[in-house]
Amino acid sequence: MTTLLGATVFSFWMWAYPQALNYHEQNQLFLCTWEYFRERLALPGGFADWLSEFLVQFFFLRWSGALVLAILAVLLQLSVWKAARSINPEGNRSFYSLSFVPSLLMLVHMGNMEVLVSYPVALLLSVAVCPFFVKAGWHRLWLIPLFWWLLGPVVIVPVLFSAIAGRKTSDLLHLVYTALVFYAGYRLLASQYPAHDAFFGINYTRIREMLPVLQVVIPFVTLGCIFASGLGAKLKHPVTVDWAILVVLAIATAGSVRLAYDRDAYEVLAYDDLIRHERYQDVVKRAEHYQPHNPISACSVNFSLFMTGQLSSRLTDFYQCGTQGLVQPSIRDNVSDLTSAELLWMMGMPNITLQYYFDSMESIENGRLSGRFLSRMADCNIVNGWYGPAERYLDLLSHSLFYRKDALRRKEMIRNEAAVNSDPVYAYVRSVRFKDDFITGYQGLDIMMAVLYNQNKDNFMAAEYYTVWQRLKQMEGAE
Amino acid sequence: MRKFISLVAVALLLYSCKGGTSLSDTLPEIYPDYIGVTVPAGIAPMDFNIPEEYDRVFVRVTGSNGGLLKTRGRWASFPVRKWHALTEQNAGGTLTFTVLGKKGGRWTQWQDFIMYVSSQPLDDYGVTYRKIAPGYTTYSRIGLYQRDLHSFHEEPIIESTLTPGQCMNCHTANATDPRQFLFHLRGKHGATMIQQDGRREWVTTKTDSTLGNMAYCYWHPEGRWLAGSINPVKQCFWAGDRQPIEVFDMVSDLVIMDMNDHSLIVDPRLNTKDFLESSPSFTPDGKTLYYCKAKAYDVPRQVDSIRYDLMRVSFDPETGTLGDIETVIPASLHGQSISFPRPSYDGRWLMYNLADFGVFPIDHKEADLWLMDLKTRETRPIDEVNSPLSESFHNWSSDSRWFLFSSRRDDGLYVQTYIASIDEEGHCTKPFVLPQRNPRKFYHSVMYSYNAPDFTKSKVRFKTHGVYREVFSDRRVQATVK
Repeated sequence: MTTLLGATVFSFWMWAYPQALNYHEQNQLFLCTWEYFRERLALPGGFADWLSEFLVQFFFLRWSGALVLAILAVLLQLSVWKAARSINPEGNRSFYSLSFVPSLLMLVHMGNMEVLVSYPVALLLSVAVCPFFVKAGWHRLWLIPLFWWLLGPVVIVPVLFSAIAGRKTSDLLHLVYTALVFYAGYRLLASQYPAHDAFFGINYTRIREMLPVLQVVIPFVTLGCIFASGLGAKLKHPVTVDWAILVVLAIATAGSVRLAYDRDAYEVLAYDDLIRHERYQDVVKRAEHYQPHNPISACSVNFSLFMTGQLSSRLTDFYQCGTQGLVQPSIRDNVSDLTSAELLWMMGMPNITLQYYFDSMESIENGRLSGRFLSRMADCNIVNGWYGPAERYLDLLSHSLFYRKDALRRKEMIRNEAAVNSDPVYAYVRSVRFKDDFITGYQGLDIMMAVLYNQNKDNFMAAEYYTVWQRLKQMEGAE
Repeated sequence: MRKFISLVAVALLLYSCKGGTSLSDTLPEIYPDYIGVTVPAGIAPMDFNIPEEYDRVFVRVTGSNGGLLKTRGRWASFPVRKWHALTEQNAGGTLTFTVLGKKGGRWTQWQDFIMYVSSQPLDDYGVTYRKIAPGYTTYSRIGLYQRDLHSFHEEPIIESTLTPGQCMNCHTANATDPRQFLFHLRGKHGATMIQQDGRREWVTTKTDSTLGNMAYCYWHPEGRWLAGSINPVKQCFWAGDRQPIEVFDMVSDLVIMDMNDHSLIVDPRLNTKDFLESSPSFTPDGKTLYYCKAKAYDVPRQVDSIRYDLMRVSFDPETGTLGDIETVIPASLHGQSISFPRPSYDGRWLMYNLADFGVFPIDHKEADLWLMDLKTRETRPIDEVNSPLSESFHNWSSDSRWFLFSSRRDDGLYVQTYIASIDEEGHCTKPFVLPQRNPRKFYHSVMYSYNAPDFTKSKVRFKTHGVYREVFSDRRVQATVK
């Protein structure tokens, strides 16, 4: 059964929602430095956060991301079962399937793309320490604040577990003690956060004001599953019952997943994932099957049409929403501007690309850096000859696992004009970018495209985008 | 005895390295550039790095009035107490740095360099600043911080994590005294937080008769009045590689708030449609208000035509009435633009920024600091501290013998805080960047600019408890027009 869970979770992330892996990966930048570790550890729940970011960096590769999440799901299930067995080592194995509930609920919970991997990591570790907590006795006095600091409020799981399993008055007193730890810890050490953040977890979601219901429910359901599966029961056909429960759980999970995963939002993320990996034909194929009706989707599909040489001919085959579906005006979130930024980079507008990527990175609600965005920001700075900031960004990237090699390669070009000009990408963008300096803005974007084409007739992208821009304007007018 | 042992140790080290030590006839390339700077006694240790290809550094510091300090490691790092003792012993004198770097098993000894220790102390507790990513329209994390100048200790006054979604403006104390300070929150739940003697209130300074909330403020020395500009800030972007961004005011007016009843003085001469008024500051006697004024143009199209003159207007602190207006420096006539006039607290000098156009010099490479002698009205660029890149926001220490300013000189984008001293004749010293432990690593990895720095005479006391509730409750003191 456990193997089946692992295989299912792996398949889910590998083939059903790989774009979520890309989204998580591009909204953080894990650095292998002591300072980074120290910075994370400065907040309650920081260790789980750090560990989560360490794991999420592997989402850079789809298969390793899916594997990480599958392993987490399996470990959580095994930890729940181990905690259950610790209550009643001789217990009947009838409700083994109930130990799958937290992992499956987590799958549903992560349908909210702003739920961070730090939450399952924290829950896993807190469930894993449950058996030790029961035996810890007075050591809980220091273990509770320690685990609160390392894992965040899910420390309530082992505290409640030991209180219920211990069945002593002193165990119940630990609940009061935990509440005091929460309060004192918040006032003394996390006072730059609103109280509800500190009490429900600062780093469990990317958007701190958000408190998904499942975030509160899952720890209690987990405890319930531990006790329910641990208590056991004498049944005539335990294996049949176990599988029956599992089938019910699987059906419930599948239904919940369909509800929890917003199709349009994930479709847009899929476009972004594919464009990032230059799989433009796949974007067009997906859009032929289903295309959300929003400007980000239109922008992504139009860009992919251009990259596959079909923009003018197939423009009207797909959803259009005027010029903003061709190039998006700057929007303050961490997704909307990405395709526009990429196409403007190719067209020869590195300054707007820089602005879009900077604003996208600053829109990451939990204030994290992004390896992907920083990387392109470094490119823009190099093209402009602004080597100081570029060097800073590349220095940071060189402390990461997956961006390091490329960062070091580009760092060697810093302040070496000949090297920059011999790089095919940089040389191309330098050849097509603006030669004169003037104030720009979204309102005059089509004029800017015309300027780009007039100064370099090889810039056929600017020419085609200009033409399509005018067509879309006419279509807008006609409507 | 300890000195003797130290000298013997140094001698032994040099002797042991004799075979492999080469003497360079150049000064060491240290980061930050602390060669020849003037520091106050008791400043945080001036740690520095040598070029990265050197894996070890040995530094010996000797004081002209005695004292010896040595350190070795990956960078030159000095213990706080010993550094303080050395600088205090050598106040008014010099420190000589002997620097050796090890590369590939061989030591190189550069020429010694000097650091001056001012006889003028810097008694203020520290500096305040806003840390913000230097960029465009969106900011994920902003915070107001205070940093002890005598150590490396930094702590937040308030961070945006406490007030999600609200942008945070500069911390403004009354002549460095944090018993009276304010900052402005922008956003859906925006307000101006004003704290006086520990009591805080959230004020809405926008009225039906004014353009918006007060943004850039300056306290009257007596504390009753608060001058502020009302300027909805906009941005536009450059296409080429000169600079990425231009910040400008769509419109801009000046008002003065009476803190007794939160009423605004709206003088029609400072609230004009055809002109932009900005950057107010009172003189220490409280009888004059300096500000900048420019003819309004069609923006962003003509943004590079906006040039501000330095103006002043007399002010009666008893009645709050404004008198005659006078143009002090007609910079626009010379194709230049003035911003951030800041009179020293002793009334001797006035420091300001001069750029080719606009009111946000931080985005202008050509922006420099200028100094006006308020006795003679003579002005000059402060060449001792200016660089080829932008110098911008500046403020005086409480005794006006030190000043700090923002500059992008390090890498052209990330703003750092520099400190320099000024003597009675107006001569300034070479500035030094705010010291940090392992400064290269610190300054090259920090993703924030140190924005709108100011000295703070003592530690800022601001209780964060209750702030979230107060901000999001939208309970505000409403300013009125007098």
